[in-house]
Amino acid sequence: MGSTTIDFVSAQNGSGATVVRVCGELAVDTIPKISETFDTILDKHLPFVVVDMMGVSLFSSSVLGHLMGYREKLVSKDGDLVLAGLSLEIKSELNLLGANRVFKIYNDVQSAINSYRWDREHISQSLSLSFPSELRFVPAVRQLASRVARQKNYGSRDSFRIETIVDEVCNNAVEHGKSGRGKDVALNLTIDREKIELQVVNETDPDKVAVLKELSTSILKAPEKPGSAVGTDRKRGRGLALIKMLSNDLRIDFSEEGTSVHVTRRRGE
Amino acid sequence: MESTFPYSVRLKFPGDLDYIAPVRKFVAEMLQAVNFGPKFAYRSEIVVDEICYNAITFGCQSPDATVEIEFSIHEDRMELVIKDPGKGDRSNRERLRHAVDGNLREADRKAGAKKEKLGLEIVKMLSEELNFEIDNNNLTSVRVVRKREEVSAKP
Amino acid sequence: MESQIELEHEQLKGVANAIVVRFVGDLDATNVEFVLEKVCNFINEGHIHIIADFKKLRYVNSTGLGVLLHFNKSAREKGGSFKIANVNENVYEIIEIIGATSLLEIYDELDEAIESLK
Repeated sequence: MGSTTIDFVSAQNGSGATVVRVCGELAVDTIPKISETFDTILDKHLPFVVVDMMGVSLFSSSVLGHLMGYREKLVSKDGDLVLAGLSLEIKSELNLLGANRVFKIYNDVQSAINSYRWDREHISQSLSLSFPSELRFVPAVRQLASRVARQKNYGSRDSFRIETIVDEVCNNAVEHGKSGRGKDVALNLTIDREKIELQVVNETDPDKVAVLKELSTSILKAPEKPGSAVGTDRKRGRGLALIKMLSNDLRIDFSEEGTSVHVTRRRGE
Repeated sequence: MESTFPYSVRLKFPGDLDYIAPVRKFVAEMLQAVNFGPKFAYRSEIVVDEICYNAITFGCQSPDATVEIEFSIHEDRMELVIKDPGKGDRSNRERLRHAVDGNLREADRKAGAKKEKLGLEIVKMLSEELNFEIDNNNLTSVRVVRKREEVSAKP
Repeated sequence: MESQIELEHEQLKGVANAIVVRFVGDLDATNVEFVLEKVCNFINEGHIHIIADFKKLRYVNSTGLGVLLHFNKSAREKGGSFKIANVNENVYEIIEIIGATSLLEIYDELDEAIESLK
């Protein structure tokens, strides 16, 4: 086997993923060691395996065939075997053999684990942002939210609605909040496969708090009839009414520290 | 009321390649919002992309790792600091440092270090300053300064 | 999920084993696998002369550049070529920065690239 090493790294930091790190040449003589490693994995009922190929310089078709066999066994138990960190040359060779139609291939190990955790462990991910309280920055912020949703496979319609929600919430924060140096808007976005949660916090202009409280209370309590809360005779509150109609849950908290808007939108509704 | 330069933005996101495209476009659009030209924005987008890619691939090798970006937009420049927890293999981090210093060792070349070297070469060419620090806790900071090509606020 | 990129292709009439591939969108680390697979398949199917039309390619990063260099190498190894046309100035600058302008065949216009095959 020469200088080729095959290291079995057990499940990573609480995720259900197992990493098998390989360095050197994956030639025919490595098959016994590969078999030993994967037989152990199967015995331990570890469902998801990432083969870290970053240090691999050669990948023989016999070894590939072997890995395909192990993958089949894992898939039959609702698991998978994926490859990560391949060089361009090896990736091209695998494409030639059609292996890319069998194995999922990732840029690196963590990308593979992230994908697994997202799909199988239903994790959520959070992004937080602090930006100056000015309207001109809101388009970039709403596009950020929309693009994150699209990257996480939310449909274009869903992503557009999320963009609208972020736009309206941030616009309100800027319009009714304190501005100037240090008066930033803080946004937190948490996304999982089923929903997106948004929280926007900023300091409110003290002259506006009472009016805002009253307005938001009336809108949040109003019946949800399309058009009713956004009639042309109402000059204020259309944004809030729109947010309410596009979201599954909307909560606004006023405190001395500032206004905090919480929105939840479930995917595909 | 609009405040004046500098504008500061802080962003923290998961160490997941899916976030790179939205984040780089966000930085580009924020720059254009204060009248930096499209070319400056595009180049900045590239810089953010390359550094974030390295931060995630080499610095975020644990499930809950995050990348932090702080950028400040001044009238004549953008300053950007990108931090990752550096929970990756120490040898990988040293390799990255060598790539920044333009001192890629032969062994690293063979191990396929071309990708980050290429990315960092681009960042170096597009930046006036590029600094790289790893502290005792492996926290990695990459600091970049990009100066505005034109002084006037023309797009 | 990947950044948005699409590849449209059509056979080039009058030139054997040649194909035009239009890149639409951004080419970055999240979609190189898709692009690699598609273009490698074209080459492996015998289309050893590839003309990449970058008219609608907005953005490319170093990962994308790496893949383009790889296509160039793969096509040449099979006796073919990989030519690029309609590169926007932003993308061209990045290619220039890494010194790949001397490695890649780049044409201003698609017609010029096609003509070079005849």
